[in-house]
Amino acid sequence: MKRSLKDFSQKRRMYGRMFILPWEIGFVIFFLIPLAQSLMFVFSNVTIGQSDFNTVWTGMDNINYIFNQSPKYVENLVDSLTSFTYSIPLVVALSLIVAVMLNQKFKGRVIFRSIFFLPVIIATGVVMNYIQGDAAAEALRSGGAEASSSGVNVTEILQGMNLSTEITDFLVGFVNQIFNLFWDCGVQIVLFISGLQSIPEQLYEVCKVEGANEWEKFWYVTFPMLSGTTLLVVVFTAIEIFTDSANLVMKQAYAAMQQQIYDRSAAMLWVYFALVGLILGVVVLLLQKKIFAKWAT
Amino acid sequence: MFNFKKIKNDPQSALLMKKRLTHGIVSFVRYFFLLALSYVVLFQLIFMISYSIRPPVDAYNPSVVWIPSEFTLENFTVAYDSLDYLNSGLVSVYIMMIAALIEVFTCAVIAYGFARFDFKEKGLVFFLVLVTIMVPVQMLVVPMYLNFSHFDILGIGNLIREWTGTDIRPNMLNTAWTFYLPSLFGVGVRSGLFIFIYRKFFEGLPRELEEAAYVDGAGPLRTFLSVILPSSGVVFLTVTIFSSIWHWNENYLSGLFLQEKPSLAVMMDLLDTSLEQNGGDNRMTRMAACLLFILPMLIMYMILQRKFVQSIDRVGIVG
Repeated sequence: MKRSLKDFSQKRRMYGRMFILPWEIGFVIFFLIPLAQSLMFVFSNVTIGQSDFNTVWTGMDNINYIFNQSPKYVENLVDSLTSFTYSIPLVVALSLIVAVMLNQKFKGRVIFRSIFFLPVIIATGVVMNYIQGDAAAEALRSGGAEASSSGVNVTEILQGMNLSTEITDFLVGFVNQIFNLFWDCGVQIVLFISGLQSIPEQLYEVCKVEGANEWEKFWYVTFPMLSGTTLLVVVFTAIEIFTDSANLVMKQAYAAMQQQIYDRSAAMLWVYFALVGLILGVVVLLLQKKIFAKWAT
Repeated sequence: MFNFKKIKNDPQSALLMKKRLTHGIVSFVRYFFLLALSYVVLFQLIFMISYSIRPPVDAYNPSVVWIPSEFTLENFTVAYDSLDYLNSGLVSVYIMMIAALIEVFTCAVIAYGFARFDFKEKGLVFFLVLVTIMVPVQMLVVPMYLNFSHFDILGIGNLIREWTGTDIRPNMLNTAWTFYLPSLFGVGVRSGLFIFIYRKFFEGLPRELEEAAYVDGAGPLRTFLSVILPSSGVVFLTVTIFSSIWHWNENYLSGLFLQEKPSLAVMMDLLDTSLEQNGGDNRMTRMAACLLFILPMLIMYMILQRKFVQSIDRVGIVG
């Protein structure tokens, strides 16, 4: 009996490995090897030969080049990294708010859900470029008001409220930013809704019995129960925003790649994503240690 | 209608009144917020439609805001020709959509391995899956391009070339394999995310279903195909929609790997130049092209939309 049980668990282990084997092969061929090669490019001089590419070790030459000689690389880098600090929290918070709203029961919920998924279809890199360019031009034509892709003329509304120009400008910028960022929220909303759905109903019943208000329900049940989803959404959002084709560093690296300067292009990307990875790692660690651990104990 | 005297004297109905008032405010704020955001999304769609059906002269006509002075389909013909819609659309369908379907299936198989079987290195391997989500494809694209031009597995082809002098390494660029192969091995467009979603779903399925199948003598693959697949419709729908949309919109990899057979997304990138050649480089034709581009996905979404919106509820990515 004991023996057959051992056989069984051994068999299960083997089956599990068999299911995953294709992924492991693909991971090595289509991920690990290219990744190692691109890391090698950073420290080499790459020339494309007849049937192969040749690399000559040059040490830190490429890194030196992009920091000291390449025009605007550092500037682009700083720009991209600062935009990261506000756009990711905003996207995550906005998606969470919308997901919580869409998760409640009210009339028209299905219609709103269908609409809010549309950005995933419409807001693709190529289409968005054309739309934003044209919507901005259109806004300029119709009176030169604040050009935004949202079509909401906030300036007029605010000026009607007799606010000072500084406050108006700040609010207009903020609202436009939110409307623009909303385009990046489609997938995140879907992820959050399915996360919300997996929270057991009993927890909310306990809240009811204990007399918790809505805010306490959110802060002590919903948010901690969503910690895994939140981490996934944070990582996903960060990657989306960083690899956006409109990003300046990405544009610069892409331009270098098209001129077949593969080594410097790789160096630009590695430095950029190493920094992103560092920030992201710190954020994920902080989220796990500081915030989510609070509820775990 | 209200008996205020009664409310004043009766704390219970005052409380009820307060509750109703908060409820009213909450639902007002909710509708206001959701409507504002819906407006942002729908505005864009209506903007596209409104521009794509108006004649070019309306661009300089200040009296035309939403409704064009006359209705025309001319922009669509120009956009259709500039995009080479039929040919590039076919490339998108038979390369990208098939790659999407392959990915939807293989990711499910792989995720099932993670969800239901235990083995020592599982944690490490799944961590590597997460790493593939986090490393952007831009970092891999140049080596992948070079590798695909002389496709080789672990240097075997290169060794043969050095010994015998014949190069057996096939050039895979401009073939569908550049997308089929990564999808087949579960490392295609955003496969990591799909494996993650599938795994969470499979872990939530009751084990009794499979145990019954094992008792009946079915092997694990058979069990997966005949028990797990039929009860995972919701998660399959979600992943299929995501995967198709992302493959349809994929213009970065396909722009490099399929230079001779541009997909629709790549043609969208080149739109400005091709419109200039066709003599119709204006906002109307551009919006028509955008509509033509998103149309197949929009139709697919409209057909699956009701099921999809319901299925989100049941996919249950456990936090």
